[in-house]
Amino acid sequence: MLEIKNLHATVSGKEILKGIDLTIRPGEIHALMGQNGAGKSTLSNVLVGHPAYTVTEGSVTFNGKDLLALSPDERSHEGLFLSFQQPVEIPGVSMANFMRAALNAKRKYLGQEPLDASSFLKLMREKRKVVELDSKLANRSVNEGFSGGEKKRNEIYQMAILEPTMCILDETDSGLDVDALRIVAEGFNKLRTPETSAIVITHYQRLLDYIKPNFVHVLLGGRIVKSGGPELALEIEQRGFDWIKEEIES
Amino acid sequence: MKDISQYIELFRTERALLDSHSQALLNAHRDEAAEAFMRLGFPSRKVERYRYTDVAEAFAPNYGLKLDTPPAAMNLPEVAATRYGTLANVQNDAITALNTMLVQDVIVIYVPADQRREHPVQLTNTLRSSVPLMQNRRLLIIAEAGAEVQVLQTDKAEGGQDFLTTQVTEIFVGEGAHVEFYDMEDSHSRCHRFHQVYAQVAAGGHLTHTTFTLASGLSRNQADVRLVGQGADALLLGCAITDGQQHVDNNTLIEHIAPGCTSRELYKYVVDQQSSGAFAGRVLVRQEAEKTDSIERNANLVCTEQARMWTQPMLEIYADDVKCSHGSTVGQLNNDALFYMRQRGISEAEARMLLKQAFASEVLAAIPLEALRQRLHVLVEKRFRNCEDCKLCQKNNR
Ligand SMILES: Nc1ncnc2c1ncn2[C@@H]1O[C@H](COP(=O)(O)OP(=O)(O)OP(=O)(O)O)[C@@H](O)[C@H]1O
Ligand SMILES: [Mg+2]
Repeated sequence: MLEIKNLHATVSGKEILKGIDLTIRPGEIHALMGQNGAGKSTLSNVLVGHPAYTVTEGSVTFNGKDLLALSPDERSHEGLFLSFQQPVEIPGVSMANFMRAALNAKRKYLGQEPLDASSFLKLMREKRKVVELDSKLANRSVNEGFSGGEKKRNEIYQMAILEPTMCILDETDSGLDVDALRIVAEGFNKLRTPETSAIVITHYQRLLDYIKPNFVHVLLGGRIVKSGGPELALEIEQRGFDWIKEEIES
Repeated sequence: MKDISQYIELFRTERALLDSHSQALLNAHRDEAAEAFMRLGFPSRKVERYRYTDVAEAFAPNYGLKLDTPPAAMNLPEVAATRYGTLANVQNDAITALNTMLVQDVIVIYVPADQRREHPVQLTNTLRSSVPLMQNRRLLIIAEAGAEVQVLQTDKAEGGQDFLTTQVTEIFVGEGAHVEFYDMEDSHSRCHRFHQVYAQVAAGGHLTHTTFTLASGLSRNQADVRLVGQGADALLLGCAITDGQQHVDNNTLIEHIAPGCTSRELYKYVVDQQSSGAFAGRVLVRQEAEKTDSIERNANLVCTEQARMWTQPMLEIYADDVKCSHGSTVGQLNNDALFYMRQRGISEAEARMLLKQAFASEVLAAIPLEALRQRLHVLVEKRFRNCEDCKLCQKNNR
């Protein structure tokens, strides 16, 4: 469903992605690992169309469409969702207004009627339970004054409401305590359909214990330098990245 | 003084008609006002309080007066005569002088001691004309000791004609009295309005004064609030939403004269397209005004490269023991927030609208009158949507 070919991208004139090739089929979970600054978040941002990043070469097709030709909101409507590494606070915009605008924009795109007020509130309530988000948080402005962990939980809450088919989780586990990690990861698994795919960016195996990847990739210097099965994540957890670097150099 | 000659001429030729259609009280103040107006002329930008608005230009077109409608009541209550013109600064303010010279009618809202109006008094001004029209109006609000009243004034205009309005409002808040005055302008781009508010708050009295400019061409609102009795309290709120070639200038002076008075002031602007906004707020704490507690804030959202905002908070303190703060900010729409919303599927126009609305909502939330607060939320959203939907705006947002 997602096919990335020879993707190059720059930010502030600096090339960060130097030829990414990655194919993700429906239902597959791909873990993306790599050292700080390797370009993992850059790849996420490029995929969702962040204006600060410029694609200089390569292509991305999503469900047969040229993803790079779509606006960020169209990409979202097509089913792409990014759980941000650093979710933004939006004071003065309530979670309800935010989610209503998002959901109804998507429904309009899909040719559906907007959801009426009571069905919408019911949906908000149901989905809140999946990630066990405090109702007090759901009534506040978007992420305003949320703790780091609460923000991550709120990302998955939004995902639950929008029901994307391709999820990018950018270090969703960071900032979560052990219990929260389990709740959020299990929430994600409950929300998954057999068709839902994901790119799971993480530094730790603990998230992958819950969200089991089919493939693990290592990003280094703007390229995917190594791919493998779930055992690769375990190996990285024990040995770090140096052995992979040495492997490439030799 | 070419600028003012057409108005002096107008006054001379129409004097008899003006007098025959107005109350004696209004007529009695005309000559003094005309003298002051001739002496002052239209304020140039060198006059401190008028530096952000070109007054002469606004008055340049040839406006007609509609003089054939008599006022609703020829007999004004006694109390009006003792207060009319006693706060308004005819000698130093040209707009006030011009208004007093040409004024056609006065609305008097009088609340006797300890009486309470259960429902707000609502004044709706709708401008309608086939030729360029000027109107000069007057409002006098008197709340005696312990009285309570809420006044809501709405300015609207129909048809694409040029309009010029001057208004002088005098508000007397008696001891322990409570007055809320809501001024809302929702007109169109060919309306020019100058509103001078003069208020005085006695001991333990409270005044809320809010100015909302949803739509207009040029608006200049001036508010002078004097806290003259111990423990007097004032809340000044303002919100301006501007686009096109619109210009909104709010100029306030809060004078702490008695000890132990409180003032709170919050003005917010959302300045879009090529429009401009100005806010100058002076808080003056006199020597006797010990234990003054004053917070003044002006925050502005400037949405395009072409939009302009001037902000000038001023704090002048002559007392020793006071708690005062003032500040202003000028910012742009938060790009990270915009992108976050777009990732969730919200269009750029909608995301911008939500952020603007969020910005304005802080002032709305501070409005004491609940029904108005809710209504304004709707009106503000409507206003932003129109703006976003028009072609010009979409082009500018790219
Ligand atoms: N907006 C930006 N402006 C300038 N440089 C940027 C920007 N975004 C990313 N970079 C740079 O690009 C490189 C890759 O950053 P990126 O955030 O993609 O790393 P990452 O793999 O997600 O790291 P981490 O594990 O720390 O989250 C870094 O050197 C970073 O400083
Ligand atoms: Mg990152």
